[in-house]
Amino acid sequence: MKKEVVEQLDGYHEIIKELELTRKYGADFTSEKGTVAAYINRLHPSRLKLRVSDILEETGSTKTLRLVAVEQELPPFQAGQYIALDIEVDCIRTSRPYSISSQPNQTGYYDITVKRVEQGLVSSYLLDRVNRGDELVSSGPAGNFYFNPIIHKTTMVCIAGGSGITPFMSMIREIVDCGLDRTIHLFYGNRTDEDVIFHEELTNIAKRFDNITYLPVIEDPTDEYSGVCGFVTSNLIRELVGDIEDKSFFICGPRGLYEFCLPELEQMGIPRRKVRQEMYGAPLNIWEYPGWPQRVNKDDIFSVKLRDGRQLEAKAAEPLIVALEKHHASVPSLCRSGDCSMCRVKILNGKVFQPAGVPVRKSDRQFGYVHSCISYPIEDLEILI
Amino acid sequence: MERYDAVVIGAGNGGLTAAATLAKKGVNVLLLERHNIPGGCATSFCRGRFEFEVALHQLSGLGTPEKPGPLRGLLDQLGVTDKLEFVPMSDLYHIVIPDQIDLTLKPERGEMITELQKQFPDESEAIENYIQLVYDLFTQVIGAFYLKDPEVTREKYPLYFQYALKTTQEVLDKYFKDPLLKTVISPYWVYMGLPPRLMSFVDMAAMLFAYLEFVPFHIRGGSQALSNALADTIISNDGSIRFNCGAKKILVESGRICGVITEDGQEISTDYIISNASKVTTYVDLIDHEHLPQEVLSEFRQCSLSMSGFTIFLGLDCEPQTLGITQSTNFIYGHTNPDLAYERMKVVDINDQDYMLLSCYNLIDPDFSPKGTSQAALVTLKYGEPWLNIPPAQYLKEKYRVADSMLQVAGRVYPDLRNHIEEIEIGTPLTHMRYLGTPKGAIYGFDHFIKDSTLFRPNRTHIKGLYGAGGWVGYNGFQPTLESGVAAAKAVLEDMRA
Repeated sequence: MKKEVVEQLDGYHEIIKELELTRKYGADFTSEKGTVAAYINRLHPSRLKLRVSDILEETGSTKTLRLVAVEQELPPFQAGQYIALDIEVDCIRTSRPYSISSQPNQTGYYDITVKRVEQGLVSSYLLDRVNRGDELVSSGPAGNFYFNPIIHKTTMVCIAGGSGITPFMSMIREIVDCGLDRTIHLFYGNRTDEDVIFHEELTNIAKRFDNITYLPVIEDPTDEYSGVCGFVTSNLIRELVGDIEDKSFFICGPRGLYEFCLPELEQMGIPRRKVRQEMYGAPLNIWEYPGWPQRVNKDDIFSVKLRDGRQLEAKAAEPLIVALEKHHASVPSLCRSGDCSMCRVKILNGKVFQPAGVPVRKSDRQFGYVHSCISYPIEDLEILI
Repeated sequence: MERYDAVVIGAGNGGLTAAATLAKKGVNVLLLERHNIPGGCATSFCRGRFEFEVALHQLSGLGTPEKPGPLRGLLDQLGVTDKLEFVPMSDLYHIVIPDQIDLTLKPERGEMITELQKQFPDESEAIENYIQLVYDLFTQVIGAFYLKDPEVTREKYPLYFQYALKTTQEVLDKYFKDPLLKTVISPYWVYMGLPPRLMSFVDMAAMLFAYLEFVPFHIRGGSQALSNALADTIISNDGSIRFNCGAKKILVESGRICGVITEDGQEISTDYIISNASKVTTYVDLIDHEHLPQEVLSEFRQCSLSMSGFTIFLGLDCEPQTLGITQSTNFIYGHTNPDLAYERMKVVDINDQDYMLLSCYNLIDPDFSPKGTSQAALVTLKYGEPWLNIPPAQYLKEKYRVADSMLQVAGRVYPDLRNHIEEIEIGTPLTHMRYLGTPKGAIYGFDHFIKDSTLFRPNRTHIKGLYGAGGWVGYNGFQPTLESGVAAAKAVLEDMRA
């Protein structure tokens, strides 16, 4: 609007006075340079430079890497959260999430506990090739698997399988270190008694603290083993924890653990809102999943064209993100389980297979976006990353 | 070096409509977005079996195909209306002040008046006159501004000249006696952040007029659907979008834009930049100080940062009616003193003196969450400053403590709410800062005092080739920010032609 018109508006002179005053005494925003990033970095750095300060042997197949900060202080996290390590192995840039197993009441270091995965590119790299003093890069702490005081009951029933013990280790250590008014009943399933991680520490804690109970459950025990065998069943849970009211349930482990335990919990009549599940990575045998198209063989190879002109080949049985990484076209990733959407890409042409239950936004489905860590090529593709 | 005709920084509402407008005109445009998804505020996120709407509460200015509002025309032009499903809201708003009033108004002028008159029979006539004023004043605003009358005079637009610089409170005080009535007729001030004492009456009239005339809308799939649709227009018109790639530096040479350096260090040459980043980020963080025009600094001094928000996103394992939630927009106020509510925005703590809003779209969109469930967003406005002073190690404790108090307050209206939470996510001012990148987590741009309106601070270009879009260059909210991007793109096109 023209200045002459504005001058005629009722109350114009009062506003001008106010303007002059504020311009005289107002804030100097140039001093804000860099502050947004600085504040965010204190809590949610997107990238952390870490140094391996110690390596602890846990079992024959598991080690704990103790990671200290190189540049900035380690940000706070909630027991149960993970960091995603950015790794370059054999010219492939990829990332893997590892739950922090150390307690969150100290951030002098983060422990991650790594178990060898058969043919695991990253786990074997971390176990065999990383030494004390080496530097690693990770994401900031992430993930939604933690005790939330607003909705969770102070008595937690925790079901772990294999390396799924790590988030619970962080929770238990926090409870005993800080004397929190919380109770954990831990059921810890493993294939053999030799696979049990943190057995000694957990046994000792359970002995010393009334609010922590620990029950290892072994599927295929050695001759020396004398504890509970089989699986974590509803009977076992009921026997140990009694009344299920006023308790929250947490579960973390390999896919098989969920397939067995979730129906058990449902059968006990536990409402869904009381069960919290951690993610468990992308399936290794996707072609056996319901809905997998008959015409596609797991060894089939499809071409993937990127919108910028690059072209690569992708195996049907491998998540799209893996093919991208193998061909140096990495996309950022965090959870690598389909949950966080960090690795979201747009399918312009062709089809991918996505197992049921992946939380993809409704409109992302409509507009062809998929989470590439859990999408499998079943046709030639053209994508936008 | 890569070259683009224009680069847009940030894929918020303004950045998306700017890039879409340019792409549709055949301009070789690059949109940079530091997140992996477009939208800025206009986004959603998933937790468990819920997808939470982040920012959209009541979309204004859309209207129906039969009676289109300005926003519908804009979205039509950008080719996104057909890809989206808009759901009209059956209520204008529901407002509760425990022990004082529990009132639902419909988004229709006559019905709104009748309902208010039923509640406040003594001020029957004043209610009618007030709404008449809102309509008459805004009709004059349309004539003078939207229809771009070249000759704006007091004779033609007497109400505009009289009210243009008045505060909402002045008008409310002139028309009404009962503080309760003043409160229930003006809850929308929270959509702009300043209480009636500080908020322009024209802005209040504009909002009420837009909602009454064109009905508030919800978008199926949430505001993310709109953002994805706009991104689609850009892509299908051969525009480029680069996700996970923000801008690190805007390059200026002899007072003219000459390029941009991306977060990953790539230099891109261009003559035009539309920045959808905050104005502070654009001028202070992205442009080297030596290139900063004095006018900008002097203009900045008159500005103050708007507030941020504190939001609890709730995934509930029952239908909304089970909890007594029967309307989609619910203002939960504890008293009739907006100045007190405004003062409360300057502290971390939440209690029953804070004004809050609970939005629940399941009532108009049954697919909003899985069958037998519902989701709600409980939000209040808070300035970011006090949150920045919390030491990192104390942050989570404070976040939970404050969320707990907020749920207690909401529990006065919806007592069973707490017992049905399946998923919960809490967004503090720091969360907004993290995802929006705005100083102090400001969500409404600069404060919208009357002195800060475009009458006194026109949306000018201080560096040749640099334009702004979003809530920092004009009004905040969906309709204004979507419009701002189109306006910026049009200015670029005009300059390109010149």
